[in-house]
Amino acid sequence: MSHSLLNPDRWINDYADALYSYTVPRVNDTALAEDLVQETFLSAWKARDSFKGQASEKSWLFTICKNKIIDHYRKKARDITQSMPEFTTPEGSFDEAEHWIPESQPGHWDIQQQPTDSKEFYAILEQCRKKLQEMQQAVFSMKYLEDLDAAEICKVLNITASNYWVLIHRAKLQLRGCLEKNWIHLK
Amino acid sequence: MKSLMISCKKATLLVSKKEENRLSWLEKWQLRAHMALCSMCRRFEEQSGFIGRMARQMQVHETLPDASKDKMQQALTREH
Repeated sequence: MSHSLLNPDRWINDYADALYSYTVPRVNDTALAEDLVQETFLSAWKARDSFKGQASEKSWLFTICKNKIIDHYRKKARDITQSMPEFTTPEGSFDEAEHWIPESQPGHWDIQQQPTDSKEFYAILEQCRKKLQEMQQAVFSMKYLEDLDAAEICKVLNITASNYWVLIHRAKLQLRGCLEKNWIHLK
Repeated sequence: MKSLMISCKKATLLVSKKEENRLSWLEKWQLRAHMALCSMCRRFEEQSGFIGRMARQMQVHETLPDASKDKMQQALTREH
């Protein structure tokens, strides 16, 4: 039996926290992360006969979890792309001549080295990410946390390349402004 | 020469394309010309790179409450 290589009785004890820690920043929502981890275990249990032992049990579970996360983005994108509100709202960082408006001009950041209090930085980043529109959040997570390239992200979210660049552009403008306002050590 | 002149809005969009090596030959020169003159957009590029590096290094150590783990265990056991 191939699944004798697996230890389902120990899954939750051994991997629940690690999978949860992986999922939380990717979906930026603890309740949703918990659901996805539970679904990961259930899917893994149902697919246990397909486990051939080429990968470790741990990386097999992480692959399932990663697919759950990407599926979540895909479903979410399907729900919101109907109206695409973020493409109709004007981008607020620039004036009509497309120059920086004074409030949005990047200030000086002292970022020669890693911030000493990166915990605080991440707490603020998390808050700032929550303010992004959902499609921007999805694009940001897939690009920086899942490390997917533009083509893969467009495919999952079913958007064009130019939509993708606009989304990532606006996400960055907004995050940058939010971090500048809230991450006081930068000032 | 006119085609080399781009706005700050366009330049900052090209910064994202540059990070993924997706600039066309023309865009490369447009961005270079703009950056030579615009300190705001140079800052944006630097900070955008910083945000990306920090995001990629994000490490989270979370612990699920025991109640949640019990619930998961029960759901899994039901499948047995």
